[in-house]
Amino acid sequence: MMPWIKKIHQWASLLIGLQILIWVTSGLIFNVIDHKKARGNAYRQTVIAEQSTLANQARLPVESVLKLYPATLELNQVSILAQPYYLLTQKQALYRHFVNSYHIVDAITGELTLVDEPFAKAIAKASYNGPGNIKSVALIAPPIADFLKNKNPSWQINFADDLATSVYVEQGSGRLVGHSNSDKRFADFFFMLHFMDYGSVGSFNTIQMILFAFITLWLMLSGLIWTLHILRKGQYRLKNF
Amino acid sequence: MENNAIKATQTKAKTIRKKPLKIFKLSHKLHKWLMLFIGAQFVIWSVTGAYMVFFDIDYIHGDSLIVSPQSKIKAENLTYSSLALFQHYPRAKNLSVGMLINREVYRFNIAKQAFIIDAQNGEPLSPLNKSTAMNIAKHLYTGDGEVLNAKLITTNPHFGLSARHLPVWQVNFDNFASPSLYISVNNGKVVSKRHQLWYLFDWMFRLHIMDYGDDEDVSNWLLFFITSLAFFAVFSGLILTYFKVIKPIIISGRKNRDSAKKVRRKKTLSFGDKS
Repeated sequence: MMPWIKKIHQWASLLIGLQILIWVTSGLIFNVIDHKKARGNAYRQTVIAEQSTLANQARLPVESVLKLYPATLELNQVSILAQPYYLLTQKQALYRHFVNSYHIVDAITGELTLVDEPFAKAIAKASYNGPGNIKSVALIAPPIADFLKNKNPSWQINFADDLATSVYVEQGSGRLVGHSNSDKRFADFFFMLHFMDYGSVGSFNTIQMILFAFITLWLMLSGLIWTLHILRKGQYRLKNF
Repeated sequence: MENNAIKATQTKAKTIRKKPLKIFKLSHKLHKWLMLFIGAQFVIWSVTGAYMVFFDIDYIHGDSLIVSPQSKIKAENLTYSSLALFQHYPRAKNLSVGMLINREVYRFNIAKQAFIIDAQNGEPLSPLNKSTAMNIAKHLYTGDGEVLNAKLITTNPHFGLSARHLPVWQVNFDNFASPSLYISVNNGKVVSKRHQLWYLFDWMFRLHIMDYGDDEDVSNWLLFFITSLAFFAVFSGLILTYFKVIKPIIISGRKNRDSAKKVRRKKTLSFGDKS
């Protein structure tokens, strides 16, 4: 039986040995990096979700807005850049980062508002307290490399600063998706390696991961039996060291 | 003479192989001894890691336990006007209109307190009573199991539930892995969903990152110490793989090629002889 155990161990190590080294190395990196920095929020400031001081009665009554947009699942009073809007959810997923669909309606004029480039830039700037200016803007369809889990088209606003900060604003809702920068990308790279997410799908439940995890079980089990075998035969002797 | 010749070839072979053998021996010792002490953690990493990747993370999160209902608001059902609402609750903020199962409702906050009002008649629906909470849970639940029971949690939530969601109704279903839905008492929304495999996943993660405290901290010293040793254990293992698997393949490949060449040469020679 032992020859088989040894063969399994050797061949499994040939198949997945390099990935094991990658797992241990990336694991060590997660252990030592600054997780606060890795969040990518170095230049993010909280936009105080300040409800505009506008009295409720000064807004358009919700009934009239809902009559105009009959396919609405939920209406929410929101404020974007301290201005009152109604956010109408047209298609609702379980989470905000799944595929959703919205209308934004000005709560005073009733005008349908689109998050265009200048609007997205203003939202991004309000959340940013770093030293850089806006360098470039692009509308990105998912997958978004910096936020793989977000499945909605988003504006990417790039700032010229030492960390190459990018701010993402969801096109449909004007919601701030988040900030990303070189520190976050560094950590994300090692997460990609650790999760074997070589196709960048933002998941660790991939075929290659499951297959390698399965082979790893064989490698570790055969290694365990081998170690016990060496122990039982009394071959762990300090003299031999 | 003959003996000397054999000796000479032997020493020659030794001098050539001396360096690689030293690396092999060192790696062998390192791998053998390090794995004696930290091999158990490798087994834990592989078992916990396999659990985490074999089960779909969305399933672990309980995403498949509930539907996201797509019932639309009928504006004509808002017979209790928002104007009346604001007159009655002048300090209402963050108003929203949505559905509670199949009726239109207003949700809003006064200070930090959330409220639900029936949009047809202005009747307060919050705090939710037990039967309404159970109806909401049944309406959203995707499984076929019956509701076992429901209990109100107002303080000291267990570790899988965030305190900011309180108070909630925990509605338990009679299905595999004991699923529970948590319904906010004040806004009637599902704030959390759990089943036993989630708790198991949480334990697997703690074991994976070697956090034996309770703050799920990846930056702990134990992990640093063991992972650093693990790096050398794996690296030496890879060197052994080279000597024990890769090199024999190369050598046997070369031998095969050489012998094939020899055979070919012999054949051509014999052909040559004939002609």
